Amino acid sequence: MTLPMALASFWLLTMLGLGLLRIWRGPSVADRMLAAQLFGTTGVALLLILAQSQAQSALRDVALALSLLSVLATVAFLTRVAGNPPGSTDD
Amino acid sequence: MSQERHRLLTIKPVPVEARDVLYRVLFAAFLWWVLSEGRADSWGFGVLMALLVTGISLGLFPPVGPRLRWRRLPGYLLWFAGRSLLAGVDVARRLLAPGLPLNPGRVTLDLDLPDGPPRWWLANSLSLLPGTLSVALHGQQIEVHTLDTRSDIAREVEEARRRVGVLYGEGTSP
Amino acid sequence: MTEVLQVALLFLGCLFFGLGTLGLFRFPDTLTRIHALTKADNLGLGLIVLALLPGVTGWAVAVKILLVWVVALVASATSAHLVARALSAGEEAGSD
Repeated sequence: MTLPMALASFWLLTMLGLGLLRIWRGPSVADRMLAAQLFGTTGVALLLILAQSQAQSALRDVALALSLLSVLATVAFLTRVAGNPPGSTDD
Repeated sequence: MSQERHRLLTIKPVPVEARDVLYRVLFAAFLWWVLSEGRADSWGFGVLMALLVTGISLGLFPPVGPRLRWRRLPGYLLWFAGRSLLAGVDVARRLLAPGLPLNPGRVTLDLDLPDGPPRWWLANSLSLLPGTLSVALHGQQIEVHTLDTRSDIAREVEEARRRVGVLYGEGTSP
Repeated sequence: MTEVLQVALLFLGCLFFGLGTLGLFRFPDTLTRIHALTKADNLGLGLIVLALLPGVTGWAVAVKILLVWVVALVASATSAHLVARALSAGEEAGSD
């Protein structure tokens, strides 16, 4: 299971990189928020795989915290841009 | 003061019953067991935390209206797992088809589910079911966005609504 | 045998993560991208969790990764709803 897990980690890391590209390209603020959601699930999957393949149980706690924080990030973001509706194009 | 405390919920809380306290203590203790990955030597602190968490949760989220029937949860989850698997496959199919077969749009449907947790269950479930994404709850209506307005959205929502109703004690278990 | 199943689940999980990301680029607008991301990624995460289950060191750890999955499901559905609602409110205000 070591090699498949290593490959899966690498793949998920690539997906995170592509998520960053979406953040960079936008075009709307909401698209950028979606990439944060992507980080929430892909990051969690990556951490769970690493926790098992590296025998680091603390990484599972990080995964749990990350998924909880991803909602808070969305809430904070939408609150901050309340005067600047997420549908409008960012400058 | 009491109005201030209940600002998190727009619905009136009902009186706390013994089973509310019992279920929450048990749930908090279960979470502790999971988070500590089953370490036996952490239970002294764990019991204290379970009681504290129960107190805080009763203060912030007092029980409102119909209660979740725990024994009906497995049935709901089984149905949900199957449908959400289909949802993923449906998205995959549309994504990979050459013509990108989408016909997105919004649908507003009537909803007679009690306010509060039952509606949150429904709204969150719908976002993971095939073709639907819950956009907003206004009063007695729910607005969903769909990938394809030609598919039978009303039936999907009605089925989910019925299942959530059963979960919250409507009728008898199927 | 279990190992074959684990690798298959891991592969399928990665496939759905790939599809979720593809949806971010191929679907035409933000709302349809939310559909793709929410559904595909959570299925991907579920499959990966199932792939990891046979390799855990105890019951509590097994329940923990299942819990992480459930939390991620709720988190993702909530985020999706919040972004969709904000988008809809923005349009109604006529600022789109």
